[in-house]
Amino acid sequence: MKLKWIVTGISIYSLALYSSFSVFSHQQETIVVEDEGKLLPTKMKVIKSSHSTHDLQKWVKEEDAISIAGMQHSQGGHTLYPAGTLLDMKSYNKIVEFNPKERRITVQSGATWEDIQQAVNPYGLSIKVMQSQNIFTVGGSLSVNVHGRDIRYGSLIDTVESFRLLKSNGEIINVSRTENSDYFPYVIGGYGLFGIILDVTLQLAEDELYQHRVATMKYEDYEDYFKKNVKKDNRVKMHLARLSVAPKTFLKEMYVTDYVLADDQRNLKKFSALKEEERVALPKLMLGVSRYSDWGKDVFWDTQKKYFLNSSGKYETRNNVMRSDRAFMKYENPNRTEVLQEYFVPVDQFTAYIEDLRTVLEKEELNVLNITIRYVEHDEDAVLSYAKDDMFALVLLINQGRSKKEIQRTEDVIRKLIDVTLAHKGSYYLPYYSYPTKAQLKKAYPRINEFFNRKRELDPEGRFKNLFYERYGK
Amino acid sequence: MNYRTFVTSQSLLMTASSMVFPFYLLLIRNIGDSYSQFGLAYGLFAITGALVHPVIGRLSDKVGDRALLLFYTWGMAGMMLVVPIIKTVAALYMLQIAMGILGAVQKTTEKTALIKQTKDSQTGLKIGNYHLWTSVWGAVAVMATGYLVDFLTIGSLFYIASFLYLVSALILMNSASLKMHSHKEKPVQP
Repeated sequence: MKLKWIVTGISIYSLALYSSFSVFSHQQETIVVEDEGKLLPTKMKVIKSSHSTHDLQKWVKEEDAISIAGMQHSQGGHTLYPAGTLLDMKSYNKIVEFNPKERRITVQSGATWEDIQQAVNPYGLSIKVMQSQNIFTVGGSLSVNVHGRDIRYGSLIDTVESFRLLKSNGEIINVSRTENSDYFPYVIGGYGLFGIILDVTLQLAEDELYQHRVATMKYEDYEDYFKKNVKKDNRVKMHLARLSVAPKTFLKEMYVTDYVLADDQRNLKKFSALKEEERVALPKLMLGVSRYSDWGKDVFWDTQKKYFLNSSGKYETRNNVMRSDRAFMKYENPNRTEVLQEYFVPVDQFTAYIEDLRTVLEKEELNVLNITIRYVEHDEDAVLSYAKDDMFALVLLINQGRSKKEIQRTEDVIRKLIDVTLAHKGSYYLPYYSYPTKAQLKKAYPRINEFFNRKRELDPEGRFKNLFYERYGK
Repeated sequence: MNYRTFVTSQSLLMTASSMVFPFYLLLIRNIGDSYSQFGLAYGLFAITGALVHPVIGRLSDKVGDRALLLFYTWGMAGMMLVVPIIKTVAALYMLQIAMGILGAVQKTTEKTALIKQTKDSQTGLKIGNYHLWTSVWGAVAVMATGYLVDFLTIGSLFYIASFLYLVSALILMNSASLKMHSHKEKPVQP
């Protein structure tokens, strides 16, 4: 009797266990992947990663939907595709060749700026153009054609000598301005749609010692200040400004940091040790408070401004300027996320643009936490070029919910902001969430159809896929 | 069912439940996409428990706590097989209702069984002992799991818990029928 019941129990249990486990393992076959925007959790087939070029070549031939990923800090699903294969390039990160004399370095595309900085800093060399933070991979940065604080070397594309590209048919080609040159302006700023960038040869700059020069001003004085004191002064090598989002001085007050070539470069050695991130707790707390209240935004702005004004006169090497803090910005709320927007507007338009922007933002509800301003020189080398003129680039950090309703609400406001930007002959940056309409994309990037047509020519089977292409390219 | 088997099986299921509890909370949190859904899921568990308590109390008097404990352990063994595979909020709510009922069963039977086991003498001592061992196992399980999660997936934790509930059920079944066995044998003896 007892045995019968126990046997029955165990049998039923085994059956249940088997069913549960088979469902469970089936569910595990897809992996949910998100990018930094956290608005597009996507079920992908598999994540693949390798050190070997041969593996990459094999996978390109085998897989029919590939999304290429670096740090996945793009926010519009540029590294994601449902049921696709995610090629995680982070372990493909060797430094292939470094020639300090010719100031040139060749790295595999999964290498980060940090990897390069570690390699070149001892030789007194530095990267020419990169983002303000150094965590990104070179391949990812090339694919979005980044820019940063540097104001003298243009966009990233200008510093690239050549790269090797693994095409959709498995073939590997060299691409430079002279060899297979038609690929050059498409792959850079190509969002991984034309092939896998294998290794990249970049030009390097001399590491230099800069002195911070910090000033506060009204937004309407900025244009003049920039033209006279920054653009014309060849000693200023890098530049960054911040526009207030605090209610008391909303889009009116600014402070700027110029990185001025120090008079005595012999001191470079003294400052050349690469800095590590130190200030986390306090800025994190302040940013946290500013997320939830206007009062917090005022306090954050005042403290930040004071802190930066105090740092005026401070010496820092070029390499260290290019290692900006970011850990304090890490945001882990399960219901909300922080997204970026970046708008480019011609230098001459700045004052009028800010006024129109303010009108929209004062009426609409959008939790903008930070606006930084950088400068990019006119550069239309890339097909998807954002710098159609000498432009200011405004980066907005926006806190928003992850629900459909919240996404919709943010979308409404952002489309208005982009309309304002386009009306001032501006454009917007593409690595962010697909809020803009197709018409807005067309207006900001007049060559967008050419771009997508070329994509279809060079990858006829549509092997390289992502949500950005899905949304705008089809 | 004697006191010893009772404590052993209770310790086992306490181990299982402490092991998965933090991860179960995490799961509820991840499936719901807002704190209000989290609150609702948790509230459903509590309110179902509250409502079924009188029924279970009456049932316990009728069928005895051994049957109810078996129902609980088998039920939990089954539930732990469902937890890793649920994906939707609706499924989560249903799971929470089922868990609410099972939780109430455990609460009632634990007490009734304890009372019966300790009716004769040394009630305080026995209850103290009971709590000592079940709590120790629970505590050990929580700490061990903290280390285990580095090596196991969260899914497999639920499967291990399910297995522990199963063992607990089997121990109970075994002891119960042992008693029946001796009852049967008695009349044969002269």
